[in-house]
Amino acid sequence: MADLKDLFTAVVEMQEDTAMELTNKYLDEGVPALDIFNCYQEALEEIGKRFEKQLYFIPELIMSGEMMKAASEILKPHLSEETSASGGQKKLGKVLMATVQGDIHDIGKNIASMMLDLNGLEVKDIGVDVPAETIIAEAQAFGADVIGLSGLLTLAFDPMKAVVDKLEEQGLRDKIKVLIGGGQMDEQVCNYVGADAYVTDAVVGVNYIKGWLS
Amino acid sequence: MFEGFDKLTSIERQDAFLDMWVSADGIEFAGEEAKAAYKERAGLVASALKIDQGIKRVPIMPLTTFAPTMLAGVSGRDAMYDPDKAGQAYVDFCNKYQPDTAGAAPMLGCGQALDTLDYHLYKWPGHGVAENLSYQFNEKEYMKAEEYDHLINDPTDFWLRSWIPKTMGALAPLADLQPVYGSMELPMLSPWLISLGTPPVQEAMQALLKAGKQYFEWINAMGAYMAQIMAAGFPFGAGGATKAPFDTLSDSFRGTTSLMMDMYRRPEKVLEAVERLVPPMIKNGVDGAVANGNPLVFIPLHKGADGFMSDEQFQKFYWPTLKEVMYGLADAGCVPCCFVEGAYNQRLEYLADTSDIRSMYLFDRTDMAKAREVLGGKVCIAGGFPISLILTGTPEQVKEATKKLIDDAAGDKGYMLSIGCAMDEAKDATMQAFIEAGKHYGKY
Repeated sequence: MADLKDLFTAVVEMQEDTAMELTNKYLDEGVPALDIFNCYQEALEEIGKRFEKQLYFIPELIMSGEMMKAASEILKPHLSEETSASGGQKKLGKVLMATVQGDIHDIGKNIASMMLDLNGLEVKDIGVDVPAETIIAEAQAFGADVIGLSGLLTLAFDPMKAVVDKLEEQGLRDKIKVLIGGGQMDEQVCNYVGADAYVTDAVVGVNYIKGWLS
Repeated sequence: MFEGFDKLTSIERQDAFLDMWVSADGIEFAGEEAKAAYKERAGLVASALKIDQGIKRVPIMPLTTFAPTMLAGVSGRDAMYDPDKAGQAYVDFCNKYQPDTAGAAPMLGCGQALDTLDYHLYKWPGHGVAENLSYQFNEKEYMKAEEYDHLINDPTDFWLRSWIPKTMGALAPLADLQPVYGSMELPMLSPWLISLGTPPVQEAMQALLKAGKQYFEWINAMGAYMAQIMAAGFPFGAGGATKAPFDTLSDSFRGTTSLMMDMYRRPEKVLEAVERLVPPMIKNGVDGAVANGNPLVFIPLHKGADGFMSDEQFQKFYWPTLKEVMYGLADAGCVPCCFVEGAYNQRLEYLADTSDIRSMYLFDRTDMAKAREVLGGKVCIAGGFPISLILTGTPEQVKEATKKLIDDAAGDKGYMLSIGCAMDEAKDATMQAFIEAGKHYGKY
């Protein structure tokens, strides 16, 4: 693999324009697209580490997601279908993400979905205000290992509980883990809902899920 | 405000405004007992804000949005479309639970006017969310990156001709209005007036006038219940409201994702924009407080919380202009009351900066013992009670948690008991337990 140190640094240091210039330059110079793609992956891993150390926060996650998206657009035509679809790595497991019925907030869910994706999980995000029945049907069709339920408002507590109750009714509870996330989540709510864990922070959520799937 | 006001320091002005509020002059009470109760309650709040060591009890200030109407069995839709039902529910809430401050019922808004305006900034019961629920913010990129200069050069023009047309469908034609500047001279007057005369703009103006009339009628109906609340001895927990400039830019204009990227892509524009928003944010808070004769200005804080940005970013982009707004409010005699949503465990030291004015920080998920450790005796602190216990706990759990919270947070006598969340809903038994425990354990 070519030494792409300057590209790695540009991505990690949020130098968006430099990263794009270097990506184009290396492609023009004949560096394999996969090498460039892997460099981005490594940079994102470093960004994730900095996030865990509380050196980086949401702006950096959003910026890195944008840089990755822009790079993928350029690199995709040069990568084989197989490598681009899987990012060259085997996915750790499948997570279905949704904001529960009644709640239309999506920022937290979107950030969590992005973080999970960057951490090697296969994510299906089915949007906001999703009824429990739809969440369960989609999770089954997708073959989800984990359901991630998001909700910012207190009105999300009961719809979250409805998902867990229905999973139990349908005999699926022991096959699928349930993680709830949002500003008002705590242990009290987690017990009420019957979820496996609660989070108020995307990285903690990623760690729970990786722990469950390892 | 009154003669000699301009000669006072900020803190003297704040105390003078607080004293005026506590004096309850001009309010028609149901009787002497109600008047005494009002003065006692407002007095407790003022004492906590002043960290007055003579205070007798922790004041109890529940933040409510739809909780009173939900408890009364009034749907979210009825709460927004029927001011009599909403107003009565707020009256009943005060009479039943006897809090020290009443919630601001007008925050519920007037559904009919939102229909007229084809309002996009929120979804509300029957318009994007189910009729039994509360309204919710509908965040989008309502301001494009290339519009920074418009906002910076002329915020009002930006508001009227760019942002309002995008957030209120019926007012979309206002985007085609010409700016007012030509009115400086007769020969240059025509473009502005001609643009006002076009059929789409005329129609938009009609919609705006109609929405204004609907809001006016709605507040007249609601006002009768607010007067009843005060007459029964309950002061309102807020006189005005405003926002941190960064939050206005992030929540309402650019959207969270876009603004987070702007901090990297165009940091100078972000800094100029938040600075430009300081005077309007001060004015918005002061105008409400003065109109209502209540110095408390509510400021919900969003994107500066732990986890949203780094300390360095908070220091550069968020805190300086929030602080300017707080000091601007104090200069006008108002008391900035920040509702600190999320957690501020890593930001507490900054908040101590405002110890030279009266200010209050009502916390959501911040560690209250830590908040007291850093801020106790310097500024008034409040909140910290989890809404989850009100909604899913037992009265016994609530009682115990209330006692523990008061033990943790109230020792410096500058604490107000509150749930750390604006309540869209509540449960009767736990609400009752919360207030009773607060009054029992909150005695100094």
